[in-house]
Amino acid sequence: MSHHDVVVVGTGLAGLTAAVRLAESGARVLVVAKGVGATHLSGGTIDVLGYAPERVERPREALAGLPPEHPYALVGADGIAAAIGWFKERFAAGSLAPYAYSGDVEENVLLPSAIGVARPTAVVPETMAAGDLRRDEPICVVGFRTLKDFHSALLADELGRAGLTARATELELVPEGRRDANSLGLARGLDDPAFRGQVVAQLGSRLRAGERVAFPAVLGIADPHGVWAALEHALGRSVFEVTTLPPSVPGMRVFAVLREALRRAGGTVLLNNVVTGAERSDGRVSALRTRVGLREERRGADWVVLATGGFAAGGIELDSRWTARETALGLPVAGVPGTGEERFRPGYFDDHPIGRAGVAVDRELRPVDAAGERVLENVLVAGATLAGAEPWREKSGDGISLATGYRAAELVLAASRTVVATGRAD
Amino acid sequence: MAQLQAEVLVIGGGATGAGVAWDAALRGFDVVLVERGDLAEGTSGRFHGLLHSGGRYVVKDPVAAEECVVENAILRRVIPDCIEDTGGLFVTTPDDDPAYGDRFLAGCRATGLPAEEIDVADALRLEPRLNPQIRRAFTVPDASIDAWKTVWSLTRGAAAHGARILTYHRVIDLHRSNGAVTGARLRNELTGEELDVEAGFVLNASGAWAAQILHMAGIEDVGVVPGKGIMIAMNHRLVNTVVNRCTMPADGDILVPIRTVSVIGTTDIRSADPDEIPVTQAEVDQMLDDGERLVPGFREARALRVWAGVRPLFQDAKIAAVTDTRDVSRTHAVVDHRVRDGVDGLLTMSGGKLTTLRLMAQDLVDAMCAQLGSERPCRTAEERPPGNEEPEHYRLGSRLGRREETLQDEQLICECELIGRNRLEEAMRTRGTINLDDIRRVLRLGMGPCQGGFCIYRATGILHSVDRLDGAQAAGSLRMFLQERWKGVWPILYGDQLRQARLDDWIFQGLLDVEHLP
Repeated sequence: MSHHDVVVVGTGLAGLTAAVRLAESGARVLVVAKGVGATHLSGGTIDVLGYAPERVERPREALAGLPPEHPYALVGADGIAAAIGWFKERFAAGSLAPYAYSGDVEENVLLPSAIGVARPTAVVPETMAAGDLRRDEPICVVGFRTLKDFHSALLADELGRAGLTARATELELVPEGRRDANSLGLARGLDDPAFRGQVVAQLGSRLRAGERVAFPAVLGIADPHGVWAALEHALGRSVFEVTTLPPSVPGMRVFAVLREALRRAGGTVLLNNVVTGAERSDGRVSALRTRVGLREERRGADWVVLATGGFAAGGIELDSRWTARETALGLPVAGVPGTGEERFRPGYFDDHPIGRAGVAVDRELRPVDAAGERVLENVLVAGATLAGAEPWREKSGDGISLATGYRAAELVLAASRTVVATGRAD
Repeated sequence: MAQLQAEVLVIGGGATGAGVAWDAALRGFDVVLVERGDLAEGTSGRFHGLLHSGGRYVVKDPVAAEECVVENAILRRVIPDCIEDTGGLFVTTPDDDPAYGDRFLAGCRATGLPAEEIDVADALRLEPRLNPQIRRAFTVPDASIDAWKTVWSLTRGAAAHGARILTYHRVIDLHRSNGAVTGARLRNELTGEELDVEAGFVLNASGAWAAQILHMAGIEDVGVVPGKGIMIAMNHRLVNTVVNRCTMPADGDILVPIRTVSVIGTTDIRSADPDEIPVTQAEVDQMLDDGERLVPGFREARALRVWAGVRPLFQDAKIAAVTDTRDVSRTHAVVDHRVRDGVDGLLTMSGGKLTTLRLMAQDLVDAMCAQLGSERPCRTAEERPPGNEEPEHYRLGSRLGRREETLQDEQLICECELIGRNRLEEAMRTRGTINLDDIRRVLRLGMGPCQGGFCIYRATGILHSVDRLDGAQAAGSLRMFLQERWKGVWPILYGDQLRQARLDDWIFQGLLDVEHLP
């Protein structure tokens, strides 16, 4: 059986944040996960709080109005700000540097979604920053016929309906010889200067004076800063990315940067490890059981950070008899309507009673039962597994993951300084 | 106001109406068919997909069984591409009386249904997921039938013989003159425009909505009782053979493999209004428990979609006196309004089932010919409507086979249902629709495991780019699709289906922020 100071379960933003923060502080960290996490699905922006339920301009002020069971209430605006600061530093010194993030908890920007909604978000990669729709500079949206996950004409039309000046153009370029490319295929294409040259050549004459240029978020996977800067230079104007359907290239960049930071700090990631349970005594977990293919392994740990996601990622399941289950450790799940009670409403956009279900925690992110009693002393829960939020509606997903993952690490470090020191001395 | 003339006005664009239009057009009548929504949007598109062998009725209703035996064989011949030859099994579960099997076999013999008892071990080899506790098993020629394909094929065939098919046209009044129905006023549901159809004869094939139509002719108290049945499509072919419980027909006793799913059905609950048929949690639980009886572990399998259909059950006191005995069995009946109500030029088809749609159409058009004194023989037992030129049945995998031929040249817009961009654009052009939900029915877009999570944004973008939608329509169509989809999934959101739904929430709300589209 292996033994680590901390075993983090999950490779989404919450798990990676906790793991990197801990490893960089000297802890011996193992990350186990079934597969890569939701970074590959998310847009690559850190949304702190976009709607509450009206559109939020100043997240710090709106955070104060959240109910006490919301995950942000456990972290506080200063805690979120600290996590954001840390995140931005990881990129400034990261494997894709100088690819960098800007923004903070004080003010939201409005970036277009792939369908042209002015979507509020807080912290954005440099490759998206020029898309802020609070600026009234006209926009030319560039699409690729080969990329079915981004429709430039629709995007421009919807922006126009929202009162912005936007038009669209579509390029007939085939990256890697594939007529059916996804965002990653195009991103690899754009990393190639020759393909980029074709983009500039087709596009250059179509642009009008004063226009900024929107691309799908495919401006490079190996060197996004280089691709973006080269396009701005060649086109002589601001260029920005717009999130596409998954797979998300900016999300993959987040995963790459954090995973590389973890590797540099001595941490390990093991994928295809499904946590099936734990050995526990005296209210503590001493080891996790993981399934690796058909084999079962035990992973000893002083601390466990659980960041397996919610229903979408499989961290929580609901069975056909409407019983919810936290899948790794069997923690209590809060917020699930009881037998005979309404779980969903008939309108898709309605507020659904089960929407905020998840694992409830105390102020130190330890899981609690229905009575509010802590159920495990050395397990901390972070990210979308937490009860109390509807991140896809609030536009708060990455913010919650980043802030609670970071807080989980801080709490472990604070509680275990001596243990960690001893561990390093071995 | 626009005017149309027709010899025959068919009301209803489901299987019955499509069959009637095809039958009448083949006999040389000039036909107009009107449908208030899209073709097969009502009961026909909301059934389990079972082409009955007749086995379900051999004990309870031998007349219905005989009809099924004959019609099953005819439909296999004339619309082979709409049918998958799955075969069927009747199985005696531990909750069923094994003695019923003997009555079942006797009934099959009496009705000419080729059934055969097989060893339970053989049945389990054929369908390994079946409940190993079954005690008897019988093979029958059940099959699965694609109702949408059937209705389009029949209406295309009718159109090729001159029929005009008006979808999204609602009958808002029936014209009457001297005690006869002479036509109808229609409203185009997309534009709001009204038009009059002057018709020599009106055939009411509106199924569970028949009473609403008859009300416009001043005819009341017709015993059409909408009967709600719910069905759940499971995300896998849990079985590859139609599986029936060998017992008197009851709820939740049929599991039909169709295309990439298997459908369990159904219930039977009286409903006052055919447009108000909500699915309840209790009904879902009942279906899942019934599924467990046939296939252990059913509750752990992923449910994909739930819906309710509404049968046109027929119980009319006046009818027994005026029609022959065959028509008062539970099968179907032609309601002769001349005899019943003193109204000429109007016949109603009541009752019936999809398996006997051809016979129902024949009976209705025969009755019309008799009133008109016109001798024109029915040809639908021999003629094949478009798309069914080859004698081979549909096979699971046909679409994949076609798709592989163009894999290098074409974008795959819907990975679940293997829909390429060319096919999507063609459907958008030929159907002339701006409605994603119509495209869904034509191509099965958004009906696969991802439930539209990926393809619907793409389809919206493509609809917009081929100039069928402006921005406001695109937003409206997308929102409507999401709501329609939600109706079919929210009562079954557990397990992997909830996981998928939550992923789709992330895409539509988290990434696209569609709820804030202007």
